[in-house]
Amino acid sequence: MLETMAEESISNGFIMNPVTGSNAPVVAKKKRNLPGTPGKYSIYMTISADFSLLRIIFMVCLIPDPEAEVIALSPKTLMATNRFLCEICGKGFQREQNLQLHRRGHNLPWKLKQRTTKEVRKRVYVCPEKTCVHHHPSRALGDLTGIKKHFYRKHGEKKWKCDKCSKRYAVQSDWKAHSKTCGTREYKCDCGTLFSRRDSFITHRAFCDALAEETARVNAASGMHSLAADNFNYQLMGNPLDTAMPQHFSTVFKPISSNDETIDQTRRGFSLWMGQASQGHDSFGKSTLQEIHQFGSLNPGSVYGDPMVSIPNPPPSDYQLNWVFGNKVSSGNAEDHQLTSTSLPLSNVKENGPQLVSVPSLFSTQHQSHQTPAFSMSATALLQKAAQIGATSTDTSFLGSFGTKCSNSQVQDGNKYSDLYVSNTPTATIQGSNLENSANDVSTLNQLQMYPAKRRRMPNEDGGSGGGKTRDFLGVGVQAICHPSSINGWI
Amino acid sequence: MKVSSAKVSKESKGHGGHHKNSLHSKRWSHHSILPLQLADQLDQWSSVTVDMYNNHHQPQTSHTSTSRSSDYSAGGGDNGEPSGTGNKWASRLLKECARAISDKDSSKIHHLLWMLNELASPYGDCDQKLASYFLQALFCKATESGQRCIKTLISVAEKSHSFESARKLILKFQEVSPWTTFGHVAANGAILEALDGEPKLHIIDISNTLCTQWPTLLEALATRNDDTPHLKLTVVVTANIVSSVMKEISQRMEKFARLMGVPFEFNVISGLNHLGELTKEALGVLEDEAVAVNCIGALRRVAVEKRPALIQMFRSLGPKVVTVVEEEADFSSTRYDFVKCFEDCLRFYTCYFEMLEECFTATSNEKLMLERECSRGIVRVLACDDDQDNEGECERRERGSQWSERLKEAFSPVGFSDDVADDVKALLKRYRSGWALAQPHQNETGLYLTWKEEAVVWVSAWKP
Repeated sequence: MLETMAEESISNGFIMNPVTGSNAPVVAKKKRNLPGTPGKYSIYMTISADFSLLRIIFMVCLIPDPEAEVIALSPKTLMATNRFLCEICGKGFQREQNLQLHRRGHNLPWKLKQRTTKEVRKRVYVCPEKTCVHHHPSRALGDLTGIKKHFYRKHGEKKWKCDKCSKRYAVQSDWKAHSKTCGTREYKCDCGTLFSRRDSFITHRAFCDALAEETARVNAASGMHSLAADNFNYQLMGNPLDTAMPQHFSTVFKPISSNDETIDQTRRGFSLWMGQASQGHDSFGKSTLQEIHQFGSLNPGSVYGDPMVSIPNPPPSDYQLNWVFGNKVSSGNAEDHQLTSTSLPLSNVKENGPQLVSVPSLFSTQHQSHQTPAFSMSATALLQKAAQIGATSTDTSFLGSFGTKCSNSQVQDGNKYSDLYVSNTPTATIQGSNLENSANDVSTLNQLQMYPAKRRRMPNEDGGSGGGKTRDFLGVGVQAICHPSSINGWI
Repeated sequence: MKVSSAKVSKESKGHGGHHKNSLHSKRWSHHSILPLQLADQLDQWSSVTVDMYNNHHQPQTSHTSTSRSSDYSAGGGDNGEPSGTGNKWASRLLKECARAISDKDSSKIHHLLWMLNELASPYGDCDQKLASYFLQALFCKATESGQRCIKTLISVAEKSHSFESARKLILKFQEVSPWTTFGHVAANGAILEALDGEPKLHIIDISNTLCTQWPTLLEALATRNDDTPHLKLTVVVTANIVSSVMKEISQRMEKFARLMGVPFEFNVISGLNHLGELTKEALGVLEDEAVAVNCIGALRRVAVEKRPALIQMFRSLGPKVVTVVEEEADFSSTRYDFVKCFEDCLRFYTCYFEMLEECFTATSNEKLMLERECSRGIVRVLACDDDQDNEGECERRERGSQWSERLKEAFSPVGFSDDVADDVKALLKRYRSGWALAQPHQNETGLYLTWKEEAVVWVSAWKP
């Protein structure tokens, strides 16, 4: 939750300077207007600074009133209900006031206790359970009902069970509240699909292409450099940075069949891929995009001549709108249909899980030594690779050719950008981002997706500011980024 | 599938072109058949069958408790079908053919194969579909071309499979039918309970459901505990699943685990020809891990003789819990009796196809794909000799009680808690009616999923 708060605060353009004495790991907090500022880094630090600050604020609210009277009730007392009994009908009430009001109905003398004029000391209650956090007076709760409910919820037996989803509750009111909404609540995935069932929502979400988006956000918040590719332990893949990639590629992307007879047939089906991988750079960019999408839409239906059945997703008109808010609209069918055009914005291509790396794949295929297939790399691996490559070379000619190559597909990108963002020159923007290190491009786009509502562009690294002193979080030197952006960098 | 049926039609099509006298002739010719003749033939054969093969006539037990009245609407454009066909004609013809094959009565075999070919279609109603897929298997059995057929089917399937299609298929299936999710919910419940409180979990997953079981488990791990344990998931892939699909899946699972905030490690073991090759070392089980073994539709893929060894190997891993989900059918004890095996096979797949028919819409692409997936299994069971090395894969299902016998050699059963049973019941409520949870008989363990009162899926949990 705090992360969301942090994001929201940023989205409002609210960047705070860290409070002195805060334990935010701010190394060199530079003002953003200065040239040579590694803007991404400063934002990155800003995020963590804000986070710590917000945490401090949050904690401050929780300091208890030292004057309050601490009451420790026994479990029995807490669980007792209806202590006040009417002598006539035996009805039980939780509060004495309620009993008095009830006695009115029996025409009995009743008296409502007035609030005493003397200063009433605030009462706080502690949980009788010793192991509980709220056992300590500093974490006492201010409300009797609150402590009762807490006790039941945390330390009580869950007696109430929802019929539909079999979720269990210890407090009856919780259960009632849940039953009202159970089954009525709809879950919406980032891709736009609605679910009435939580379990099918979760399963869908895990496999949905929109997940790429989410993890970009999570990654940036938690520090991408810490998510090493150690976790990614796919035995067949090997090291994606291995120069022996071509062979892996062929084993990975040809369907594993232990039969030599069938290889011919399968080879035909995948010859597109083989061809693309070993092809020269020039036509790779655009045609790969085509191939990717065609491949994505290849399905048994087409093999057997059956057309794909209905598209369950929102119509294309929502596409741009959803994209604004960092959502990916298409999933499954829709994506196959929508993405068959060649002039796709590059970032949308990126959002397809495996096709996430189409930008860096263009990047990587420029290098003779890296025959990386288009979508073989996870975001993590790609960033590592980019970091490696970026750290070693600044190949201006490469960057130049990269720029031109991307320009076609990026123009669309630019159009979209210009709709959503204030920018002076759409193409200039794109040119700027083209000529960056592609790793930064990826993270740029990632962060763009992270804060889509903000009308600001991720800053480009402007020309070198003192060799080696400023490095962005990938450890890539700033001087690797050459082009002083024509964007009116307002970062 | 199309390839082999084309073969069938080419070879057997002409045979019925001649009138009834040629029934006994073995010459093949290419001649088209008029519907009326076909109807006559069918009727005649039905009556002839009753007369001549009376001793073989078996009572028409309807294994499915609801006999769906499938309107037999002209599978081959036939009008004026005699009422002799009507309901369940496929079942009758197929059984006749199986018997003929078992008796090695080649003329009858030829004729029945031809008739089935005329009437069958993978795009028709249930009867026609069953006729189509079983015809393929019977043909392979009669011509002893099972291995070749399997290879063709596999290569066709691999070409058309992609992550996208597989994902779409299984998610859709899980949306309309609890066939797979039943096992998932029960197994997850058992695993969570058995591994409760452990800081390091290692789940060995041998299943055919492409890891769709695990998102809900990850979510449960993330939300139910204050301290989320570390989960290592080792997935053992059988040769059927294309490796690019697994790669995609691994990426998604890792991303999802990150999203959920569960420390996660994902390993894939592939390249195994069959599960019998699995070894303890390859799985990478560490000392301090709490191990759970999860087998969904996996044990049946092991050759019958090798099953005890595999179960012992599981035992040697020292797991806290072993969950087994299998479909209720017996193709294993009858593997030397073709007709009996065939009958149970037909019963099971009839139930399955009818279930698909009811759960999906009529024009569903996914339903078609699921039906096609069955073709390999049917051909394997009926037409492939286990002794031959058919890539080590087999599909000899066994019933829950039979699996229990095997598992009791190394494990003792664990009952499902009431909470898990409630979860399963709540799950079934979310689907259309017809599904129910059934407790096993006495001395049996596990839970059964029933479709229209017939047990179809069995789930059980075991501990050492």
